[in-house]
Amino acid sequence: MHEGSITSQIVENVLREAEKRKAKRVLEVHLEIGKLMFLNPEQVHFWYQMLTKNTILEGSQLLIEEKPGTVKCPKCGYEGDFQYVDDPALHMPMPTLNCPKCDGTVKIVSGKDCFIKTVKMLI
Amino acid sequence: MKINDVVKAEEGEIFDIELDENILKANAELAQQNRELLRKQGVKAIDVMGSIGAGKTSLIEKMVQKLKTHYRIAVFKGDLTTTIDAEIIGKHGVNVVAINTGKECHLDANLVQKALRRLDLEATDLLFIENVGNLICPAEFPLGSEKRIVVISVTEGPYMVVKHPFIFMDADVAVINKIDLAEAMGVDIAKLQNDVKKINPKTKTVTTNCRTGKGVDQVIAALNL
Repeated sequence: MHEGSITSQIVENVLREAEKRKAKRVLEVHLEIGKLMFLNPEQVHFWYQMLTKNTILEGSQLLIEEKPGTVKCPKCGYEGDFQYVDDPALHMPMPTLNCPKCDGTVKIVSGKDCFIKTVKMLI
Repeated sequence: MKINDVVKAEEGEIFDIELDENILKANAELAQQNRELLRKQGVKAIDVMGSIGAGKTSLIEKMVQKLKTHYRIAVFKGDLTTTIDAEIIGKHGVNVVAINTGKECHLDANLVQKALRRLDLEATDLLFIENVGNLICPAEFPLGSEKRIVVISVTEGPYMVVKHPFIFMDADVAVINKIDLAEAMGVDIAKLQNDVKKINPKTKTVTTNCRTGKGVDQVIAALNL
């Protein structure tokens, strides 16, 4: 949903870092997007291309890794992926907060974040 | 041998730099500051999120009418533009700060922090923060409130919940409004309630008709107010 503004923030942050290190060019940016974020990789790529034009990031590779969300059950201690409702009418499995192991309600541990992991720069 | 081309090495060295920078950290930190400030001042803050025209303002109006003798209430009213709704709520004699986002489709912790500076927190016990009508974006931007309500209405059709599972994951209370129109709309309320339960079994579901006030007492009870 916020691919434009979030990608612009990513580009800004990488540029700031590159300027700080007096980099000549940025070659690669490695992004990690949690599954619960409303960020569609295809649209992030599109915006990245637009926003890096005429900057030292132009032509750099954007690598996006989608991280699965993890949950934890306070009742039985289960830690791992969500339980999904797989209704064909929904086209994609819908994550729920039901514990896959017991009747408890899980808490979200990760998946609601977006990290710039590493940046490859020519310095 | 004829030389066709020259490959020149770029000057400089290539470095892999570990950043590990969370893009949403700025909002999360501001939300935490808001949360601490509200706790310190003893203000109970409740987010009211929901679709456009679902009845968020009507619900707040009805809750304000019922609660204003027990609590000193303030309301933040988020909208892209206009103070129409803010004025409607203001008529009930509570403090209202209109937050106009301009173009943004949701409130963020920064705007809420600015609005908190305009409010006498010492003279406030209960704060309703009405978000911009939207079931998608507000889920991603915590504001620092204690509880979250999501309002939908039967006139939006039978699939509002399953189409927006993420916002219901964070909801303490889900309000299904305009139930007087359910039959005309052919919407099965029990199915909507069940969809909420499937996503988050801890979310309490309440059905309302915010024009008449039906069900509003149950919303208040679900919020432990």
